[in-house]
Formats: sequence, C-alpha cells, structure tokens
Amino acid sequence: MRKTRDNGFPEFAAARAGHLYRSACLLTGGDTHLAEDLVQETLGRVYVHWKKVSRADNPAGYAQTVLTCAFLAHRRRHSSRRERATGVLPEVPEPQTGGDAPLRLTLLEALGQLPAKDRAVVVLRYWEDRSIEETAAVLNASSAAVRTRCVRALARLRVLLGDSLGEYARS
Amino acid sequence: MPVADHDHDHDHEPDPFEERFAGALRDTGTAFGADGTDRQDLAARGEAHGRRMRSRRRVAVAGTAAAVALVGLGGALLLPGGQGDGGRQQTAAADPSSRSASTTARSASTAPQAPMSADDIVRTLEELLPEGGISSEGGHVTDNGSYAGAVYDDGRGKAAITVSLDRVQPGSREARQITQCPDKLFVAYDACTTTKLSDGSVLMLFKGYEYPNSRSGTKRWTAELVTPAGGHVGVQEWNAAAEKDSPVTRKQPPLDLGQLTALVTAHEWRTAADAMPLDKRSPAGPDTTPATPRGSISTTLTALVPDGLKIVSKSPPDDDQFGYLVLDDGRGRSLVQVNVQPGMQDVEDQLFGSDAKVLPDGTKVALRKQSGDKGISGIVWWSVDTIRPDGLRVVISAFNSGAQNTPATREEPVLTMEQMEAIATDRTWLTLG
Repeated sequence: MRKTRDNGFPEFAAARAGHLYRSACLLTGGDTHLAEDLVQETLGRVYVHWKKVSRADNPAGYAQTVLTCAFLAHRRRHSSRRERATGVLPEVPEPQTGGDAPLRLTLLEALGQLPAKDRAVVVLRYWEDRSIEETAAVLNASSAAVRTRCVRALARLRVLLGDSLGEYARS
Repeated sequence: MPVADHDHDHDHEPDPFEERFAGALRDTGTAFGADGTDRQDLAARGEAHGRRMRSRRRVAVAGTAAAVALVGLGGALLLPGGQGDGGRQQTAAADPSSRSASTTARSASTAPQAPMSADDIVRTLEELLPEGGISSEGGHVTDNGSYAGAVYDDGRGKAAITVSLDRVQPGSREARQITQCPDKLFVAYDACTTTKLSDGSVLMLFKGYEYPNSRSGTKRWTAELVTPAGGHVGVQEWNAAAEKDSPVTRKQPPLDLGQLTALVTAHEWRTAADAMPLDKRSPAGPDTTPATPRGSISTTLTALVPDGLKIVSKSPPDDDQFGYLVLDDGRGRSLVQVNVQPGMQDVEDQLFGSDAKVLPDGTKVALRKQSGDKGISGIVWWSVDTIRPDGLRVVISAFNSGAQNTPATREEPVLTMEQMEAIATDRTWLTLG
C-alpha cells in the first residue's frame, strides 16, 4: 500500500533536491543551514501530498512553489532580524564562466538585503525563469505588484552591486 | 550558459544590468551545488520528514472522527474553551436541529467553493465586455487564485485582456499595496488613481506601459479592486494582441477607464473572489508594523542633506535599509538613494580596492562617477561607497535626474561628491541598526 502511495517519490526527491537546495541558498542569501531546513520541509510537504502532486502537470514547479512559501513563512516568523550570509559560500572550484567567489558573496549580500518578497520575485524570475504571471501565481500577488517589485529590486541591486558584475556578460 | 533568455520587461533592447545580474545569479546558484556534496541525504531527510508529518495528520484525523462519532450518538460534545480562561470547557448540546443549523452556517461562510476556471473567466468576460470577438488564451487555477487571458477584438484591433482573482487578508499590508499606485521612480506611467468606493472596496486605475523603463511602446492599463472581504480582482488590457513580442494593433487599449471600472467591479468577479479561501500564507489581521523599526532611511537622509534643497518626494517608510529623496535646488530634480548594510566586513576587500581613501576612524571611502542607464539621455550616476571598521556599509548614489529612468534634467547631481561623503560618513547611520 505504502509502496503504491510513495511511487516515484524517492526518485523525484533525489532528482530535485539539488536544485531546490540551490534555489533555497539564493532565497536565504547564502544561509546554507536554513536552506537545508527549507528543502527538508519542502520535500516533506510534497511527500504528504505526493499522490496528488505526482499526477500534476509539473511536480517540480509545485515543489518550487512550496519552497518559496516555506521561505516566506520562515521570514514572517523571524521578521525582526534578517539572516545574513557570513562566509557561508561553500568552497568552490574556479568557475568555468568567469567571476569569482567574492563577487558571488557580494551578490548574496545584496540579495540578503532585499525584502523577502522582492528576493522571492528575483529568484523566481531570474533563477527559475518564471514569467511575471507565473511568479504572481506563486506569490499570490497581482502581476502588477510583481512587476513593481521586480523593477524596484533591480534598481536597488544595481546600486548595491554597482559595476562589480561587469564581467558577467552574456555568453 | 543561457543568460536572461526569458522575457524582458524592458524596452525592446534588453537592460545590460539585468542580463549581467541574471548571469551572476545563475553562476552563484550553481556554485552551491559545485562542491560535490551529495544531496541524496537531503532527499532522504525530506522523505523522513514527510513520513512524520503524515503520521501526525493521521492522528489528527482519527481524533476528529472520534469527536464526530460522539455527536452522532446524541451525546454531549466537549469543546475546549478559550486559552485565557483557565481551561474552562463548554458543553454543546448535540440536538439535531442546532447541529444542522450550525452545519448550514458553516457551509455558507467557510466551505470552499470551486474557484472559477480559466474557461469560466473567459465566458464571464465575454458576457461583460462590449460586443466583439473573444478567444481564450488559457490560464491557470491554484489553491488561492484563478487567472485567464483572452484576446478581444471590438473591430478596431485585437487586444490582450487578462483577469485574475484571488483573496488577501483584509487590512493587511499586502491588501494596501495592491491598490497603491506604484512609485513613479521605478515605474513609468501616465496616470494612476486610487479611489475608495461606497461599499468600502478600494480601486486602483493605472495607465502605464508594458516596459516600465520608458513611456513608449505597448500600453498596459490595469484596474485592481480589493473588496472589504479581501477579494482581489485584477484586470489588465493592452493595445496589442499579446503582452510582449507582438505589434501594437491600436492607439489605446480597448476599454476606457469607465469601462474598465465597470468590468473590474462586476459582481460576478467579486462574488468569486470573496468566496476564495484566505491564503494561509498571509499573516492574520491588520499589519501595521513598520518595516524599519528605528526610523526610516529617508527620514534620516532628510535630516542630513544641506539646507535650502526642496524635497520633491521621498521613499515610503516600508523599505528596510533603503531609502531615497528626490531633491531640487531650483535647477532641476535629482534623485539621491541610500543603502545601509550592516556586517559587510567579509566582502570589504571586494568592494574597496587599494585606492580607497581611509579616514582617521578607519572608515574606507570609494568614490565613483559613471554614466547611468544605457538609453537614458545624458544621465550620470555618482556614488560614494563607505564602510566602517565594524562592517557597516553606507552607499549613496545621486543622479542628474529625478529618476534613474528619465532623461537628465540638469548637468550634475544636486549634491557634490564632498557633500555625499559627509552624509555617508555621518554618525547617524550607526544608530539605525
């Protein structure tokens, strides 16, 4: 019975955990411990509803939505202080596409400064490649609100990051 | 690497910063998986967490079933009393008439109704719109909302129209923000009004553009209605058959503001939106907490700018660690923005090179003068970046225009680099925490 109900979940979780973790790291501004907790919470919730989720068009998209909600719920519970990334970026080999770890840390710091919903918008739009409408659906916001948040967040990131992203040209 | 290949919300030429940022974000996200860490443990932990959650749900469901069985036998149902009254318990008589009355009341007020499907929305749209052809462009329905798009043709050019329905906590910050006109500093538009209607609903009417960086190209007009119950109806219309990548088909979107108002306030939508379940993610009750508890950035900045400058506008106090003023010394508007970031010592070397000035108290100062956004005529962007020995970073940017996305209104920003440095290094920022 349980085998039927769980059918395909372990494979799904194994396939998606890495991506969910990377998304969560961006949402948390580089707090890897919190990111792990959020992914665990997300996969747990997906597991509970797996029978329904597995029949949905896009279980991966559903999991991403659950992750975003889990992040925003966490931020609401701990809204008095923001978490900060302090040297939590893992040791990474030199990337093949230019850039370096300190630059990424600067970016995470800048992300970490955005209000939680703005950060969720930025991650959904530019990391998940979601459209304005899809982002609005995930955040249960109007598309007009998402547009405004996105433009405002970019304006703010532009000031914080200045020209430090110069080398991330289109490739 | 595919960088920023999704739809752009900017005028026909992609914004270079947006592209660079998207690339850097991808690189940063990918780096978190590049250390070879096995994420299978995370998958297993997630599954174990799910099993525990499911067990708890089973116990909860079994408890509910027992209580229902007790009522069914005609016994007395013990209900836990309020938290603050010493654990007092109320006894509810389970006579059939009162039970059926309470069941009816519950189903009328809270029983979830099936949300409007995309087809329902388009059918309703067809009934409400003036005579014309309409074709569905699909949509989606989630637990908390419905959305559908259509192409409408009144005979004077095809136009995209979308309708979205959801529900927000009445009185919440989110409910207020939906009907707040966007800040002109970030979104270019021609007109925006917010009105309170006689039934207590709030309506925002907005005439703007698909690409918020310039007042040109495809027009996008919207109406956002939030009812006293938190029902939210959003209608958008364009003067093109699609939001993007579609030629302009007519001078204006098809519905004028009167027609748009009639459409968005139609009872069909309001009834459907008011009946939607409240999003569990929304905090309950009115939200009046200020985002920056110890005073807003713009208020602090106001106190620090030199006398004699007229403050044209300032940022709302909702923003944490960010604020702006638009100043005018009589020779044109100038935008001044401030970001305050504590604990930045870990990236200090990255931000402040060996050419940074070091003040006697150890504060590092980096000065930059550069051209502003590409495509914005004559705009320059000056900034002073500072970091205290304790890692508090204060960045001030000033433009020779009242916004980042409008042409230059003057030769140089309203503040000199020396004035900006004096503001950035002022001790007041240390007290904002």
